Amino acid sequence: MTLVAERLDELVTALRTVLRDEQILTSKPDRYNRARVPAPFPVHRWSERLPDLAVLPTSTEEVAGVVRIANELRVPVVPSDGGTGLTDGAVPLHGGIVLDVKRMNQIKELDLENRTVTVGTGINMLKLNEELARHGLFYPDDPASYPCSLVGGRIGTSGWSLIGARYGHTRDLVLSFDHVLPTGEVMHVGDGIGRKISKSSSGYQLKHLFMGHQGTLGVATEATLKLYPKPEAELSPFWAFDNYDDAYRCVGALARAGVATFAGAVLFDEWKVAYLRRDDEAYIPQPADVRALVCAVLYGYEDEVRVGGKRLFRIAKEHGARYLGDEISEGDWAARHDRYATPLHGRTKAGQVVPMSWHCEDAAVNYTNLPAVSKAWHEIVADLRRRTDVFDDWGMFAYTSADTGVDYLTEIDVGIWEQQLDDRAWEMWVKAKRDIAAVAIAHQGSISACHGSCREGEVDLVPEELGRGYGVMLDLKRTLDPNNIMNPGKYLLDQAYDGSQR
Amino acid sequence: MTQLDRQGTSDPVAVPFTPGMRDNPEELALIPDEIAREHVVPPSDDPTPTEQFTEQWRNASYNCFSSGHKFCREVCPVTQVTRNESWTPTAFHANVVAMDKGELTIEDVAADYVNCTQCGACELRCPNSLFTGDFYRFRTRTVDVVKAVRAFAVDSGVHQPQWRTWNARTDERTHEPVLGDTPVSQDHVRDWSEGLDIPIGGETVLFVDCEAAFYRTSVPRAVAQVLQLAGYEFGLMGEQWCCGGPAAEMGYVDQAKRFAQHNLDNWRSTGTRRVLVLDPHDYISFTEDYPKYFGDDYDIEVVLVVELFAQLIREGRLTPSVPIERSITYHDPCRLNKRKGIWKEPREILRAIPGLDFKDVDRVTQWSYCSGGGGGLPVEKPDLTAAISANRIQKASALEVDTLVSACPWSERPLGEAGRSESIDVVDIHELLAESLGIVVGGSRGGADGADPSRVETANDEPVGKRGE
Ligand SMILES: Cc1cc2nc3c(=O)[nH]c(=O)nc-3n(C[C@H](O)[C@H](O)[C@H](O)COP(=O)(O)OP(=O)(O)OC[C@H]3O[C@@H](n4cnc5c(N)ncnc54)[C@H](O)[C@@H]3O)c2cc1C
Ligand code: SF4
Ligand code: SF4
Repeated sequence: MTLVAERLDELVTALRTVLRDEQILTSKPDRYNRARVPAPFPVHRWSERLPDLAVLPTSTEEVAGVVRIANELRVPVVPSDGGTGLTDGAVPLHGGIVLDVKRMNQIKELDLENRTVTVGTGINMLKLNEELARHGLFYPDDPASYPCSLVGGRIGTSGWSLIGARYGHTRDLVLSFDHVLPTGEVMHVGDGIGRKISKSSSGYQLKHLFMGHQGTLGVATEATLKLYPKPEAELSPFWAFDNYDDAYRCVGALARAGVATFAGAVLFDEWKVAYLRRDDEAYIPQPADVRALVCAVLYGYEDEVRVGGKRLFRIAKEHGARYLGDEISEGDWAARHDRYATPLHGRTKAGQVVPMSWHCEDAAVNYTNLPAVSKAWHEIVADLRRRTDVFDDWGMFAYTSADTGVDYLTEIDVGIWEQQLDDRAWEMWVKAKRDIAAVAIAHQGSISACHGSCREGEVDLVPEELGRGYGVMLDLKRTLDPNNIMNPGKYLLDQAYDGSQR
Repeated sequence: MTQLDRQGTSDPVAVPFTPGMRDNPEELALIPDEIAREHVVPPSDDPTPTEQFTEQWRNASYNCFSSGHKFCREVCPVTQVTRNESWTPTAFHANVVAMDKGELTIEDVAADYVNCTQCGACELRCPNSLFTGDFYRFRTRTVDVVKAVRAFAVDSGVHQPQWRTWNARTDERTHEPVLGDTPVSQDHVRDWSEGLDIPIGGETVLFVDCEAAFYRTSVPRAVAQVLQLAGYEFGLMGEQWCCGGPAAEMGYVDQAKRFAQHNLDNWRSTGTRRVLVLDPHDYISFTEDYPKYFGDDYDIEVVLVVELFAQLIREGRLTPSVPIERSITYHDPCRLNKRKGIWKEPREILRAIPGLDFKDVDRVTQWSYCSGGGGGLPVEKPDLTAAISANRIQKASALEVDTLVSACPWSERPLGEAGRSESIDVVDIHELLAESLGIVVGGSRGGADGADPSRVETANDEPVGKRGE
């Protein structure tokens, strides 16, 4: 909360010229419920993250109107969509307006010939796919947050998809979009100016710039997406190993095989398997000698999936894999979206069940650096655990990002007992995050493969990761957002304004 | 290459382990803790009402707050039409955490809790119930949290204007004011059964909820005549009051308990051991609320009519034979499908009726369907109920059917109104079965359409919908 009462009145009066009263929310619970996202946060400092109000626009014009007013009145605007982002992107750091685009969830045009759909950015992918299924089509942006994240947030984070090795990630699947700039002007951005063009060489390639900026460069309002035939067959074998090294070698070989229907592979390390044993009966009851798991997934037509699958099974066998059977494989892959964030799995070292929040620390890491990075990360979390039961190690996944196996989304899941958080614990955590990010950079990786890197701790290292590129970010931010209206405070971009801190 | 160096380490935290396993090293339990306190919130000698409330609901709410992933959002009927983050299952839990932290008060949050039909969809969709719930015997309890906050609001003197009036009038009349300004009363609660010659009392009684008894009287008439046709013995209650469920849903718990006590006493006075229920809301009251109020003393068998009819058809005691030429889809009432897991029997009945072209939508897809009629929503926010009903009717409309069949009288008023503009007729499953058994049902369907015109006694009443699915 930053605005004094008179300025708040002035703002609300101005907003009423573009929105109905019912679209402007100012109550305390309205603001408290927009101050947080799923990632754990210093809950004892909740009130520091409040917006002054929230708005629920329903069209590009209304969004532009709100941003124009905010720019005139110099009030921060924080875009928010699903509010599931794990780097706190949609959390206001300096109060202002939370601009929630969730009501813009209409399907505007379905083009069956060119295989595109144009939607408001407040739509959810699962809901969109329910409609597309009637035409035998699907939109394959498939994060683990598939039932809850929305297209605008996917653009704002430039998200990562579980089946990206086959279909590409959000940046590949979003062809173009309408975008409201920080001054309130409306721009269309894509490859060239076309709405449905997948490859253009005309001018600067601006589409990438306006994705993944965490709302610091404006608001995407309407997007045109690439569609695929709904896959006829899906194969998702799970294999068990009695040691990490074999599993690691296996996942590498699977990803490098170049099978066209290969949509992704996942490596579960020994800590992850130990974590999953916490509800063994509900999950995969496995003998004690299972220490690592690998799963792969193939999408396509029945005949091509069968042939590709055969090849992958052969590779797995050569690496000492034990197939877990059809039932577990199908069930676990189908449930992959939901097996996250289970507060019930939080445990003290002695085994007491305590409710914990899920923190997912993700990085992009080359295949050859996976073992070293995961070793270093577990050591950082072990240090935390040695000091307190506020932190818990929920193990690691490594997911293929590309079809060649070059790099992996590497994630360590940490349970945090937020009910016990205080300033000291929070400080320990921020330091650990900084250390985790530093390990990724030291191994030629990137701090984040999917969520972004805006949070305390990790964000300190973004200038180091990007080098001169960070300077370009500052220049662009100042040029496009002269008054630092859009999501101020994120990515340390306040520096762009000569130390004039908000 | 290897990820961990197991040899040579004597530090038990350095290697993977599953906390709580029997063979874990003892040292794990002995490491001193720098941060964690014994009590998350120190116990207080003299807790405030808010502290007493949050003490009870802290962990249930925190289990959602700490996930906060909103997998439940797109199935929530209210969120679907409002897309307002303050009115989501997530917010309903987070507010309690904020109250626990002293950030929000009951005065701040009470009005937001109107925006829930208590349909139960979010609980089913929540990964905490879905995957690990069985193992930990845990279930996300949004409905209970919402009910508890509403009750705490009423206890704290924070009222919603329409709810207060509704419950005051119910208290005065012993029935809900479902006919708007036309008073309902004890003298008329059995009017629907005119000419059917049903005895009073007996071992088995048919309980008829307020909406069906006064508004959609075709439903109890259909039920009673089907029972008579099957030779199933039953009577009506001596002095039936509202089941009390709606009052409980809106937070007026004392009133709800008084009503429950009356009904139980009345059953006892007529030697009743079994209660037949045609309304899913009553079914929740009698199978969930009453046992909570009365504990072991509560020895009444509760039978859901839809289940009973399916059984009678199975046993050959009812054979629907009059073809009904309608193209239908079935609306899973939330309180049957989502709250009680009852979805098979209604489909069995519909499949037994000849002539129907039945375009079914599976029960899981229907987790996100709702009429908007439940949880007191239409009393306080009729526009919102109408929007949810319109949304539900659109789904039916896309199937190109002419009829939506429901099994919940409370859903049929708002759905019927929404159906009118799409030319979709909303019919009760009991009515449809009766028709196929050759019964001339009679009674009123509440609206001017569809019912036997000679019996439309309430057609001109203000539509004052209330609960329903
Ligand atoms: C259980 C779970 C699993 C997850 N798994 C994955 C995964 O597999 N892959 C992955 O990539 N992420 C994952 N995430 C993180 C999250 O879902 C993604 O970051 C997602 O893209 C965020 O979308 P959202 O709609 O929730 O956006 P929000 O959280 O609302 O916003 C995210 C960012 O985008 C900005 N933004 C929002 N709307 C717009 C807009 N219209 N225009 C411009 N900027 C905007 C916001 O300001 C914010 O900075 C997961 C999260 C959870 C809770
Ligand atoms: S109710 Fe369940 S799905 Fe919804 S936010 Fe809470 S934990 Fe997540
Ligand atoms: S019970 Fe139904 S209406 Fe209430 S929050 Fe859950 S899904 Fe929404």
